[in-house]
Amino acid sequence: MIARKKSLVLLILLLAFACQKTAKPPDIGLQYEIAPQPPRVGAATIDLKLTDKNGAPVGGARVDLEGNMSHAGMAPVSVETKEIETGKYRGTLQLTMAGDWIVLVHITLADGQKLQRQIELSGVR
Amino acid sequence: MDLLRTPLLGPLLRWRHARTLFQIPLLVLSVLMILHGFFGPSLAPKNIATTLTWVHFRGALVLVLLAAGNFFCFACPFVLVRDFARRFFRPVRNFPRFLRNKWLSVSLLIAGLFVYELFDLWSSPWWTALLISSYFLAALIVDGFFKHASFCKFVCPIGQFNFLASTISPLEVKVRDQAVCTSCRTKDCIKGRRDPVSPLVVIQRGCELALFQPRKVGNMDCTFCLDCVQACPHDNVGILTRVPASELTTEAMRSGVGIFSRRKDLATLSLLFVFGALLNAFAMTSPVYAVESWLAKQLNVTNEAPVLGVLFVVALVIEPVVVLGIAVWLTRFSTDKSPLSLLVRYSYALVPLGFGIWLAHYSFHFLTGLYTFIPVLQSAAAESGWQFLGTPLWRLTGLPVSTVQALEYGFIFLGLIGSLLVSYRLAQEDSPVRPVRAFLPWAGVATILFAAAVWLLSQPMEMRGTMLGG
Repeated sequence: MIARKKSLVLLILLLAFACQKTAKPPDIGLQYEIAPQPPRVGAATIDLKLTDKNGAPVGGARVDLEGNMSHAGMAPVSVETKEIETGKYRGTLQLTMAGDWIVLVHITLADGQKLQRQIELSGVR
Repeated sequence: MDLLRTPLLGPLLRWRHARTLFQIPLLVLSVLMILHGFFGPSLAPKNIATTLTWVHFRGALVLVLLAAGNFFCFACPFVLVRDFARRFFRPVRNFPRFLRNKWLSVSLLIAGLFVYELFDLWSSPWWTALLISSYFLAALIVDGFFKHASFCKFVCPIGQFNFLASTISPLEVKVRDQAVCTSCRTKDCIKGRRDPVSPLVVIQRGCELALFQPRKVGNMDCTFCLDCVQACPHDNVGILTRVPASELTTEAMRSGVGIFSRRKDLATLSLLFVFGALLNAFAMTSPVYAVESWLAKQLNVTNEAPVLGVLFVVALVIEPVVVLGIAVWLTRFSTDKSPLSLLVRYSYALVPLGFGIWLAHYSFHFLTGLYTFIPVLQSAAAESGWQFLGTPLWRLTGLPVSTVQALEYGFIFLGLIGSLLVSYRLAQEDSPVRPVRAFLPWAGVATILFAAAVWLLSQPMEMRGTMLGG
């Protein structure tokens, strides 16, 4: 009897999870350029290009950059980019210390969908 | 002053369950750190495991050791889990005789420092969580098999660090009146107390680290567990103030430890403590990457491990052998002691300087990132659906670097003064007629290491995990 109840619970759980729909993240491509190259302590200008699955530029998005160091205990640096032409965004981050930086790109599309990408800046001097 | 006789804190620490009271919050925090490390954000600055371990725990640890004593071993959560497990299985074996020394912990400490650099533990929440978990597991396995506090005394690398650093601490667990101990017949502080009706039942355990209070000297191997305080039927054990580092000049026979100058393992641990401090600090500065790139080219490798291996051999073997070898050779002109006994004896004199360097390094991260735990906890709570802590205040950091740097220099300078004083006291004993001649070589060693530490601190910090790649 107990074994049958357990099987039933397991079956319900399996069905519940099997039927759950997960939201598919938008298929957005990201290309980027950083100046100066290699990146140095101080201002780093990051140009981003967003494209959809057909390669067309994705305009009208809000794109925020958040730079974090690889070591805990450091404040992140953030900046909101500006759309300089359709699908192209530019922001300048102040890299405050030498080392490895990880830049999180927070993207909010025009239809409100949100996604995040990561850029690694190794060996900032 | 006796901390156990101060208002509020004294009664609290004397309470039978005081240790558990301090251990429980640290256990809860450790579990949170492990969970967040494994399942939380992969970015170190956004994860509880990396932030609390590498910024707050290390900094608070050294500052508490400097200001008070080994209270982190007192509140150790690993031992709490072990104690709980021992309710169900009692170990019957003694720790193997050939391992009852510090050689195993010396090896583990070197391995720990190496792995820390190789896998950039400070930048990886996953590795950090694994490290914390492995401490719990190791404590359970070692003390599950072996009696007493074998893990604390012979294995735990954090414990060994704390034992050495606490030789500089101003507080010591010791007897208040030796005369009371002389007349004591039960020796409960070491044997513990058993139920008079059922002698197999231990009511209160004695010192698990084999430190017999009347003959205990200094803080070496003392976890501040206060079992002796609880066990003493005469209320004759206190937490007393003393002159920091004074125990490093004592040649006395120490209960559970022996004589310092005969402990080559302990002297090696001390040297690792000192030269490891420099190496660990060096690895966070800009010049290390130039050195490593050069080494990688010379060795024709792209793998970091052999490069790190060479750096470790240079910093932990060649450098000490050369610097200390010269000092030993020079000291022999003023004393008839053997070179090895001189090396062992004066190794302890460098501990204050080593502690000063660790203090400078760890307090830098702690103080410059003092408030960073707030946004990390806010963020972790928000991830879990609890918004009551508000939006993460990522702007919160800590004290300005310029202020902290002044403190860093102060800590290293204090360490230098401590090492010079201990060296001079040892030199006075070794060469009563011409103490200065015996002192000068070791003053030279301390000054060279001090200058190296100051140079390191003046270098730009570079927080990297990509030694060769980037």
